[in-house]
Amino acid sequence: MQTACAIRITDVTKRFGSVVAVDCLSLEVPAGSIYGFIGPNGSGKTTTIRMILNILLPDEGVIEVLGSRETRAARDRVGYLPEERGLYKKMTVRRLLRYYGRLKGRGAAEVDREANRWLKTFDLSAWADRRVEALSKGMAQKVQFIASVVSNPELVILDEPFSGLDPVNADVLKDAVLQLRASGKTIVFSTHDMAAAERMCDRIFMIFRGRKVLDGAIEEIQAFYALDTVRVRIDGGAALLRRLPYVESVNDHGRLQEVRLTGDPQQFLARLTSETTVHHFEVTRPSLHDIFIRIARPTGEGEPSLFG
Amino acid sequence: MHRIFIVATSEFLTLVRTKAFLIGVFMMPVFVGGSIALQKITMERPDTERRSFAVIDMTGVLYEPLARAAEVWNRVATSPAGTPVAGTFDPSRVDLAGRPAEVVRLELSDRVRRGEIFAFVEIPASVLDPQVDAPIRYYSNHPAHEALPRFLEEMLAREIVNRRFEAASLDRAMVDQLTRTPPVDSLGLVERSGTGITQAAGVDKLRTFAIPGAFMLAMFLLVMTSSPQLLNSVIEEKMSRISEVLVASVTPFQLMMGKLLGSVAVSLLLGFIYLSGGYALAAYWGYGGVLTPGLVIAFLFYLVLAVLLFGSMFIAIGAACTDLKDAQNMMTPAMILVMFPLFMWVAVLRAPDSGLALAISLFPPSTPFIMLLRIALQPPPPLWQILLSAILVGVTVVLAVWAAGRIFRAGLLLHGKAATPREMLRWITTG
Repeated sequence: MQTACAIRITDVTKRFGSVVAVDCLSLEVPAGSIYGFIGPNGSGKTTTIRMILNILLPDEGVIEVLGSRETRAARDRVGYLPEERGLYKKMTVRRLLRYYGRLKGRGAAEVDREANRWLKTFDLSAWADRRVEALSKGMAQKVQFIASVVSNPELVILDEPFSGLDPVNADVLKDAVLQLRASGKTIVFSTHDMAAAERMCDRIFMIFRGRKVLDGAIEEIQAFYALDTVRVRIDGGAALLRRLPYVESVNDHGRLQEVRLTGDPQQFLARLTSETTVHHFEVTRPSLHDIFIRIARPTGEGEPSLFG
Repeated sequence: MHRIFIVATSEFLTLVRTKAFLIGVFMMPVFVGGSIALQKITMERPDTERRSFAVIDMTGVLYEPLARAAEVWNRVATSPAGTPVAGTFDPSRVDLAGRPAEVVRLELSDRVRRGEIFAFVEIPASVLDPQVDAPIRYYSNHPAHEALPRFLEEMLAREIVNRRFEAASLDRAMVDQLTRTPPVDSLGLVERSGTGITQAAGVDKLRTFAIPGAFMLAMFLLVMTSSPQLLNSVIEEKMSRISEVLVASVTPFQLMMGKLLGSVAVSLLLGFIYLSGGYALAAYWGYGGVLTPGLVIAFLFYLVLAVLLFGSMFIAIGAACTDLKDAQNMMTPAMILVMFPLFMWVAVLRAPDSGLALAISLFPPSTPFIMLLRIALQPPPPLWQILLSAILVGVTVVLAVWAAGRIFRAGLLLHGKAATPREMLRWITTG
């Protein structure tokens, strides 16, 4: 039933000395989807991405990219935007894009055509023959994005594509990513911006301490974490809530309180109405942000997750 | 192979736009033109100043002949048309008149300082006595000026020796004839030619020493303009995380080979420029024949090997470092290795067929410089030595490129702390 996989990772482990960076990871990224990679810093995101790109080799397990186990063979069909940005300062934008495109095995004419199209999309055509050092930071970031797609790849991997962009440019980039998906490309992007991930991604993958802790469609994930959180507005506020049973924690927003329950929300509602006047009661779908924080909170071991 | 070529082309185009390359290119015409122009200027515009100087003559007899010699000199130094062609000298006698010599010296020194006279000379009374070793004292504030002290030394020596011969009742001319020794003319070998035997040519110092030296120096300049650039290129790519994108497109080995070959291409281009410039200069001086095809081939052959060898060294250093400061420290051993032939070349020049010269020219990092020097020198090294050195340096280049490839691959994604030499060794051995 499933469409072809752009990336299939099976039981992959990667160690650096005694540190296990990625621990027995399995993951399937369906072709044509936008897949979000999330996870705190140092949890193994970049290592996973580097293994997909064949920059690093896994110690154990198999990685299949675009139907090829020999990931080196697939890499001409993969575009990559690394997290930390840099370009050759002395090169002109056109020469740089041509170089990156040709390194992926594309002809100069084909690369130039793609480059011109993208430069136009990003309103950078006038800068094509300027040196990179003359560009503003935002422009350079857009040029770097173009560099990762100028070879017209089937799979695009973007590591933190939105970091450091102003809202206007972030929007332009978001449209570009959606446009890529509309033309049938597969996009994997890692981000710390949970709101963006929630808005854009078809599926989310979260890695924490080298292990997969979330993997699925946004709705599935939210549904799993939703039932035990309610949002209420009552007479008595947070102080009253904290005295009640089933309440694990209260996040006080002032007029509204977000309550995490240990029991059934319906029973809790019955108890609540018997205690006070309820103005608002809502079983919420927690934001990805909340889920992320819940799993990766600095104290304790985090929660049992989908993959317990 | 195709990807290596793309990297090499990009590297080449980047390198020929760098300042180091432009300086390298412009140095040649500046050097050629400069040396010709300088020679013309010094030939056409010699020092024609009139130098006045004071003489304290304690012997009482040497001033007159010195003044006469200056007159003759000045006549010769003036063309028939009356324009001076060399510096002229204007002596004046100073008497102590009972004052202490100290006081007079100070007074004359002050006159020199005020620019009234150029210098002064003090001839001690005992200078005529062959038993006494009494130097003539020349005082001046122009220590680099040579013409006047040389004139004084020659003129006074001749006059003093003449007077000593006279005092001993000997005929100077007779003694000169009897003590004349035959010179040794340094010649090459007599050769057979079609019709008979050609005369041996005289040894030409310039051809013997200057030209082989120039070849070696050119090699050094070429290696220095191209190889260290690779270190900068690798560090730039590492610091701006470009390398991460590049190795997502090509293998680290392809990337490194592309860089190396780009650098080789740049040095070959510069090499051609230097050779043509050198040929122009040599032809101007009438030495067009020294640039034999064999020497040109040897030059280009060793140039390629040297750039590959030192280039891979600098690439490995760049990959093991995370910023330019680290790189500067780690560069030192490699730089010493590049410079080593510069310390040794004079010894090789003096005795090209000595054991030392053989050892240095077979030491792979020195081979491209020293073997080239020896090939340019007479007698050229035997063929087996040239072949052996080529094999040794060739094997070393392959090993260096291989080792650099491993360091490059391991170091490329390294950030933060520079690798220690021990770590680099581990990368080489374990891959």
